[in-house]
This record gives sequence, structure tokens and C-alpha cells, in this order.
Amino acid sequence: MKKIWIITGCLAMIAVLVGCDKTRRDAGSVYMPDMTYSRAYETYSSTEDLSKNGINYTARPVEGTIARGDEFAYTLKNDATGYVQSASVKSPLDAAKVDMTEAERLYLVNCAICHGAKLDGNGPLWKGGDGPYPAAPKNLVSDELKNMTEGTMFHSLTYGKNLMGSYASQLSTVQRWEVIAYIKMKQGGAKAATTTAAADSTATTMTN
Amino acid sequence: MRLINGFIHIFSESIVSMIPSKAFGKRLVVFIFSFFLFSVFNNIKAADIPAGKALFMSKCASCHQVLKKATGPALAGLEDRHTWADHKELLAWINNPAAYMAKDPYTQGLLAEYGSMMTGFADITLVDVDNIVAYINDAATAKSPVVGVVDDGAPKTNNNAIIFGVISLILAIIALIMMQVNSNLKKMSDDAEGISRPDPVPAYKNKVYITMVSLLFFAIAGYSFSKAAIGLGRQKDYEPEQPIYYSHKVHAGINQISCLYCHGNAWESKHAAIPSVNVCMNCHKAVQEYAKGPKLYNKDGDEINGTAEIAKLYKYAGFDPNKPNEWDPSKAKPIEWIKIHNLPDHVYFNHSQHIRAGKVQCQSCHGEITAMDEVKQVSELSMGWCINCHRETKIDFNYSDSTGNKFYSIYERFHNDIKNNKMDSVTVKDIGGLECQKCHY
Repeated sequence: MKKIWIITGCLAMIAVLVGCDKTRRDAGSVYMPDMTYSRAYETYSSTEDLSKNGINYTARPVEGTIARGDEFAYTLKNDATGYVQSASVKSPLDAAKVDMTEAERLYLVNCAICHGAKLDGNGPLWKGGDGPYPAAPKNLVSDELKNMTEGTMFHSLTYGKNLMGSYASQLSTVQRWEVIAYIKMKQGGAKAATTTAAADSTATTMTN
Repeated sequence: MRLINGFIHIFSESIVSMIPSKAFGKRLVVFIFSFFLFSVFNNIKAADIPAGKALFMSKCASCHQVLKKATGPALAGLEDRHTWADHKELLAWINNPAAYMAKDPYTQGLLAEYGSMMTGFADITLVDVDNIVAYINDAATAKSPVVGVVDDGAPKTNNNAIIFGVISLILAIIALIMMQVNSNLKKMSDDAEGISRPDPVPAYKNKVYITMVSLLFFAIAGYSFSKAAIGLGRQKDYEPEQPIYYSHKVHAGINQISCLYCHGNAWESKHAAIPSVNVCMNCHKAVQEYAKGPKLYNKDGDEINGTAEIAKLYKYAGFDPNKPNEWDPSKAKPIEWIKIHNLPDHVYFNHSQHIRAGKVQCQSCHGEITAMDEVKQVSELSMGWCINCHRETKIDFNYSDSTGNKFYSIYERFHNDIKNNKMDSVTVKDIGGLECQKCHY
């Protein structure tokens, strides 16, 4: 009789141990809430109650605001005319003074995932058609992109082009120009070629 | 080709009927011949598709997909539309879209629908068009891509603790039984030798037992109480259910997206920002289904439909996959992800300070994110945990070398000490990593 109790006890303990769901879905409690939760509005805290209290708040900076250390805002519009006009826009940065280590980092983080670390349009998301991305990214060292002016590249980076989205939220104006300087450097820095090709590149880009 | 095969078949039949004695040999020869012909013809036709695929991938795939609308229309069944069954028409359009469109209302309608004109490819020839169309027809009729090696990814539980518990329980039971047997034997031998002893005290009255049990009780209760008290306010293993089943394993692991692609602010600010919906849509405007990755499971072991999870994102983004060009990012609603790694307000932590100046890898604190489907807090994020790392982590002090961090050049004394072999390395502790005010102010 005693043994039966012991055995049932053991089985019950095992069942309790096995049955426990190990996933912790609950954040738990804290000692002193007023020292744990910020009274000031932290990043990502909800600002809904502000408007309920009649406080007018928007997280968006006023249009045309320029961050400290950044370049002037880009003014061309996101339309066909803007795209054509962008061909004549020049980079405000001196290509020789751009920190290429930083530019390379920005390229590898933001662009290489599709356009490839070698700029050949074969990043891990495409993998020659085996990756999850269904459209082939542009080969950045192809003649078409070599002939594209830095201004047009900047326009496409800012507003997005075809399936590529806008990178204005991830890269500041200066960072976008840095990435373009890096791409142009990798394309062979053929300054002469790009300027002579500028005229017919505007013709071809119109058809895009 | 069918004709030729048929002819060869009839030919062989007639030979067989004419010369019955040598039928087998002849038949064999003719069949081999016919198979040879068949395979040659088949190869010529099959060669079209790989060439077409190569052309499609290099010229068309930036804007067109076979089955889905992208920047341009889906190309499956294009021969049924307009006059494209005539490949010369198609060639004229591909070679010079602007000129073709000038006199053709159908393609003008396409421009109105998709908003951007097709790029011309003057170097494409009629043979190329045949090959590309052959590839498109082949890809349109082919079954959906077979998912490759699938690891089942089902959650596995670590049973070590349970096994040890069971073993110690069994041992305890055996020990009890042995004690019982021992006392019984002793009693029997005593009876046999005629020694009379007082009846043994029952276990619940035995003071030794009671002391042992109460000591054990206090030890266990004290341990679990202090453990719970220490754990109060700490969230190790916290793994909340997120509004969308977003797998870091698929994104950062399999597809090798850099952590900073989405959490770029970690490089520049205190916070490793949560990406806004437009960052998700950079890729998911095109990646509309989850087809090529391993199967996903939730914690109950139920399979997750990745495509349905992407559809949830579209709901937040206000994106209609059938009209990709009409999407307006400014109408997107934020996804309210649940923050996992929480620090109390009385401690300051800065991401950029650690990953940019300190060159700490994300995984050092967040664990192996690239292997996690659902993210959980791996580190304790307790003060002892912080301090321990500050004591042990050697900082990259070699600033004179170009790989070193120039930030540390101000610590002149340490540099001199290293030079004079007074110390071999500098830890975070040495540059004030244990000072209260560095994190609490």
C-alpha cells in the first residue's frame, strides 16, 4: 500500500516537471515601479494620452528641418521631371575626402543584401534567383549603372526606384552621398567616362 | 518530330514483318536509332529554356516576374495577350518601346497602368525572344518551387534536469527501502538471539527525522524564496508573443540581413531602434510569400504560415499586393512590437557606446539571435552581469595601430604603463566601468 503511494507521488512529480511550459510569456513584476518606469516620455512610449490632455505633440520634425551636420534637403520632386532633372545634381561632398571605410560599412549594411558585396547585383537575397527576393537587383558595375549620374542615383536612393524602396529613413542625406561616392569609386572611378556619358545617359534614363 | 518517330516506328514494324528470322536484331538497331533521333530533337528544344532563363534573369527579372505583377506586368500567358503570339511584334516592342508605343494603344494602356515605361533592349534578337518566351511558358506551367532541405525546427526540450531529478528520487527510494530492510533484519536477528529491545519510535515522532525534514524544508524554502526575490524585476527568458510571427532566424540567419539594416540606430544612438513599416516593405513589396525557407513552428508546435504573417504586415502597411504601384507609405500604421529587453529607468545604457566605441557584437548580450525564431532575453541584464563583463572585457587599446580605437588615446598613463610592461591589458573597469555614476545618475 505504501509503495503505491510512493510510486504515484513520483509519477505526479514527473508529470508536473514535464508539463511545465518553459516559454516565459510574462514579463513579471518589479520592486519599485516609480524607479523602473520612466516618468519622462521615452522612445517608443505611447503619446496617445498627451493629445487626450490637450497637449499638441507630433514626433515629426518640421518640414525642411536639417539635422546638425547634415546637408541641405533635397528639393527635386518624386516624379518623371524630377528624375530627369536629377541627372545634373552634383554631390556636395568632395569624393576624395569621403571616409570610404564608413561608406563601405553603410553600403554593406544597407545595399549589399540585394546588390551584393561585390556590387554585382547578386546579394544574399537574390543568390542568382535562389534567394527569396523575386526580382533581380541591378548590377551596380554594369555599363547602365556606370553611366548613371550620381544625381540620378541619389534621386533613386531618396525616393526609391522600381521595386527598391526609399532609403531616406535609413540613411541621412550625407550618408546617401557617401554610399554613392563608394559605388562610383567601386565602378572604377572613371570620371571621364561618366561625364562624357552624361548626355546620353539622360536620354536612356528617360525611358526608364 | 512526332512524324519522324512515327515513321521510324512504322519502318521498324515493316522490317520486322518482312524478315521475321532476324527480327530481334533489326528491331534493336532501329529502336536505338529512333531513340538517338528522339533525344537529339528533344535536346535542341530543351536548350531553349536555360538560355531563355539566363536572358530573363539578366534582362527582364529586375522588373518582371513570371506569375506576379511587379514593376511591370506578370509575363505568364503573354502570348494570349495583345499580338504577342507573333514574336516579331514582341521583338519590335522590346527593341524600342517608345517607337512601338507611339502607334499602339495597348502598350499605352500598360504605361498608364504601371506608371513607368519599359526599358528598351536593342540587342535582343528574335531567337532570344523565342528562348525567353519558352522559359516563361515553362516556368508558368512548372509546379511551385520544391522546398529544399527542410529541418523540422520543432521545439526540442532539454530534459537533463528532469533526468537528474528522477535519478535522485529513485536513489532516495532505494535508500529508504534499504533502511527499512536493515531495521527489519536487525529486528529478526535480535528476536533470534533473544535480545529484547524497546519498540522503535515511529518515524513521525522520531526527533532526528523531524529535525532533518524541517532543516530540508527551510533550505528549500529559503533557496526558492531568495531566488524569487532576486528574480523580481529581472526578465531572463522573457519571450512575449509578438503581433507578427517575425523570425530573426529567417531574416538575420538564413538571409544574412545585417542587424543594422533594421536596427541602424544602435550605431548612432542609445536605442537600437525598431524599424518602421517602410523598412519592412523595402523587401516585402516584392517578397510576398514565404516559400523557400524552413518550416516555422510556434511554441505549441503548430506550423506557422509565413505567407499569412507577411499578409499581416500588409495590413499594417495598407499595401495591396495586387496593386503594388499604388502603395502610399505615409498611410502605414505602426506595428506595436513588444519590447523584450527592458532596463529599469534608474540605469543608463547606450547602444552606440557599446557597439561602436566598444566594438561589442550584438550577439554578446542578445545571444544567438540568428538562430532564434522568436526572440527571448538570453542574458540576465542584472547589475552583476554588467559589472562582470566590465571587469573581464579587455578593450582594444592599441590606438597607435590603425585598427585600434582612437577614442582611448586620452588614457595616457595606461598607454605608458603598457609600453613599460607594467600592465598587459586594460579592461573596462580600469577606465571607470565600475563607477556608480557612469550608469546611475
